[in-house]
Amino acid sequence: MLPNYKTSVKKVDNEEKMSGMAIFTGDIRMDNAHFAIPVRSTVSYGKLLKINVPSLPKGYYFISAKDIVKENVCNIIASDWPVFPDKEVHYKGETIGLIVGPDKKICIDLASMTHADYKELEPVFEMKNSYVHKEFKKGNPEVFKKASKVYSESFETGYQEQVYLEPQGMLIWMDGNKITIKASMQCPFYIKKAVTRTLGCSEDKVRVIQPAVGGAFGGKEHYPSLMAAQLATAIVKIKKPIKMIFDRKEDITFTTKRHPSKTDISAYLDDKNNILGVKIHVGIDGGAYIGCSMVVLARALIAATNAYTFENVDISGDAYCTNKVPSAAFRGFGSPQSIFAIEMFINHLADFLHVNHYELRNKYLVKTGDITSTNGVFRDPIILDKLINRAMEMSDYQRKKKEYSKPNSYRGIGMSYFLHGCGFTGSGESTIINAQLRIKKDKNDIVTFYTSQVDFGQGNRTTLKRIVVDTLGIPEDHVIYGAPDTDETLSTGPTAASRTIIIVGGLAAKAARHLKEIWKDGEEQEIIEPYVGPSYIKWDDDTMQGDAYPGYAWGVNVIEISVDPITYEVTIEGCWSTYDVGHAIDERILIGQADGGLAQAIGWAYLEKEEMENGVFKQRTLSDYVIPTMMDLSKMETEFIDNPFPYGAFGAKGAGELTFAGGAPAFCAALEQAINRKVNKIPATPEFIMELIEHGN
Amino acid sequence: MIKQLVPANLKEALEMLSKHNCYIMSGGTDLMVQKHVSTGLLPSFDKDVIYVMNLKELDYVKKDDNGNIRIGAATRFTDIERSPLVPEIYKIVIKEIASNNIRNMATMAGNIANASPAGDSLVPLVLNDASVILSSVNGNREVLVRDFVLGVRKIDRKQNEMITEIVLKPQELNYFYRKVGARKAESITKVSLMGGYKIENGIIKDLRIAFGSVSIKVVRSLENENKYIGQKVKELNIDSVIEDYSPLVTPITDQRSNKEYRHKVAMNLLRKFLEEVKGGRNE
Repeated sequence: MLPNYKTSVKKVDNEEKMSGMAIFTGDIRMDNAHFAIPVRSTVSYGKLLKINVPSLPKGYYFISAKDIVKENVCNIIASDWPVFPDKEVHYKGETIGLIVGPDKKICIDLASMTHADYKELEPVFEMKNSYVHKEFKKGNPEVFKKASKVYSESFETGYQEQVYLEPQGMLIWMDGNKITIKASMQCPFYIKKAVTRTLGCSEDKVRVIQPAVGGAFGGKEHYPSLMAAQLATAIVKIKKPIKMIFDRKEDITFTTKRHPSKTDISAYLDDKNNILGVKIHVGIDGGAYIGCSMVVLARALIAATNAYTFENVDISGDAYCTNKVPSAAFRGFGSPQSIFAIEMFINHLADFLHVNHYELRNKYLVKTGDITSTNGVFRDPIILDKLINRAMEMSDYQRKKKEYSKPNSYRGIGMSYFLHGCGFTGSGESTIINAQLRIKKDKNDIVTFYTSQVDFGQGNRTTLKRIVVDTLGIPEDHVIYGAPDTDETLSTGPTAASRTIIIVGGLAAKAARHLKEIWKDGEEQEIIEPYVGPSYIKWDDDTMQGDAYPGYAWGVNVIEISVDPITYEVTIEGCWSTYDVGHAIDERILIGQADGGLAQAIGWAYLEKEEMENGVFKQRTLSDYVIPTMMDLSKMETEFIDNPFPYGAFGAKGAGELTFAGGAPAFCAALEQAINRKVNKIPATPEFIMELIEHGN
Repeated sequence: MIKQLVPANLKEALEMLSKHNCYIMSGGTDLMVQKHVSTGLLPSFDKDVIYVMNLKELDYVKKDDNGNIRIGAATRFTDIERSPLVPEIYKIVIKEIASNNIRNMATMAGNIANASPAGDSLVPLVLNDASVILSSVNGNREVLVRDFVLGVRKIDRKQNEMITEIVLKPQELNYFYRKVGARKAESITKVSLMGGYKIENGIIKDLRIAFGSVSIKVVRSLENENKYIGQKVKELNIDSVIEDYSPLVTPITDQRSNKEYRHKVAMNLLRKFLEEVKGGRNE
């Protein structure tokens, strides 16, 4: 019997955050703290000939590639991003060095007086040079040749900025001969690895501690590794505490974003209009360095057929190198881009075939036991039909869809289906991460457990603790669970990939169960619980074949909008969502994820515009890069339908990224009905809506 | 060395202004952003700063003997919006300016002096022939807001002068106002239109049109307006009015929108307003 978690507990961090007592990186005061100010490349692509540093007052330093201790590599998956460039710069704003010193204003002035000489090279801003290519097939795409009809379209999505409340920031100091770091981050062990790698030092020489973190959304998964490698290089030389805190403008302009994408889809049809198969190519703009783009691309490709089963599938994709700020992790990690494309495509295909959207979508809807596009199996029960029916009922979808199809209604309703593979791709949880969780009990029977999971607001400090408390069946104040410190915890992996509850939560429950089994009152006990994945999960990363994820979460969004025909502004009239996240552990925390994710996705769909001009963003402040306010959103009605997952803690699956996947296609489906035009590109700003209304497709 | 000047009263402020070339800071909601350097550091001013936000004698809203509403230069938007004396049309505009917390600090005088093409309070001030009082040790002068703003961040203020008062002249008009920003709250205007009209016995007694954010300053044409006044309202040709204004609306493409959209929406709003005029509300 699963516990009933309809009643939510108070989040453990509520009080410190609501009262303003929480200490974030920027709040930490340290005697003799120095400041690091980046000196940035002024060209998009060029040979770095010489850096002209003004004469520095005593106690001020310029740190650059020449100061690298061991390896000039920032450890971010592909490891192609240098800590400081030494021969070439690859994007405007790349940090070519740091001015470090005790007075921030003097550092800023010195940084502005530091100029490099470049031999400029021709930059590339378009998606044309591929640096990662992937492809896989299912069934027999040869049958495409027998198709009597082919229907093809292209879809584009834009950049997105994370807009975490707290900009990037890091503090580094020497504690004896140990480098110690506090930072706004998602992944303490990524930072630790980045430092040991560039310095070539042993693991016991680096400690990473998490202070309060104000939001992340993927933006603090990799970029802090670069900051850490740079500051570690500096502290080895300077031996003084150093702080590097970005202003909002700097953060928006120079840190990693969501990958822009272009997806081409063709459906091959037989003479009875059955879909023989689909061919999909997803291109993503990776920016100047690969970083994690190959993994983002992989997720985009695996999600490309979304919640549909097609017998024959030919999927390929490229991550393109451009001379722009690198793209990296952002909630959804590539899949929202390809899900947007297929969701819009299937509606357009229905229009092309003169059939009802809903009927065509349901004809190809994935069912339990279906073969995935990578020739794995959807093993766990799929209840998508229940999610769809409930969402339609909640929103009165059928009636509204019909009513708003009258000409010039300027009102529309749209629905999207979507999935999210939880955890690392394939067998990555067992082969790459190998999480181990330490739980111990002291003589007073007080239990402490440790993870490397960062709570950046999403609530995992509360939920993970609850899992252990409920498993052990002891009072809440008998369990201690603090923020990660790499000197105390083993790595339970990054706070990413919607893996925290499904993987680490499952691991915590298992560790607590084992502790309960051997429990002896009044004795010190300790267990180190290793992650063991489902044995049936087999994945080949080179061929992209097998089971891509340990488990899948599902969702349906319905969005209703109206469009002002005079100003082309959109009003969100209603949002209804149903989700299968396994068994919900804490409904209030999940609502936070669900409604927050949807709000962020709606912003991506129509408001958040980040345009590139000569290799830099035009929107660099929060008054120009606008995200939705409460006034821009409607009431959201959200329900979770129970479908316990055997490998998650208390049947839970991941929920953090799932909730982002369906907002854009549901919004755009509603927009298409409201303006009677096809929408193949987001953000669908009022400027773009005007163009569509005025000039058609 | 930059001087930070804090006058005790208006007289002292004017004396300081007669000796120093100053930035005049009231709420600071524009200046502090424009002069921002970095978190934890003081803003960077390249000339002296005089702080006038605490001048109590400039914090008022009152009605004079001519029925005009006089607003002291240090009066915050929030207080203006709450004053029973201030005409409703100004309140409608103020409620859509920035956010509550900014309106608690910002002043209308500052919004005028900042002379941004997107300055929202300039639109009703220009449409309703409001003026500002500029004071210096040599005395006062009154200038219409539409003449005071010369261009982008350019105003008709002498170095020794400061705005001390805004004079609103209540009009007997029916109003139309629409601000279009990137989102529904806390947004900078992409395009706005305010219209005012008065019709008696089917004759246009008054018709005024002002556009915001579509040119270097608020667009209002007295020449056009005079052509329409005296016409029978049912003979007013909407298309020809739009033709009159189309060349005057000269927006730019920037990070917030593009010129095609701004122009098209400005004309759509104008059409909407004129349809309302012809519909004869409150005839």
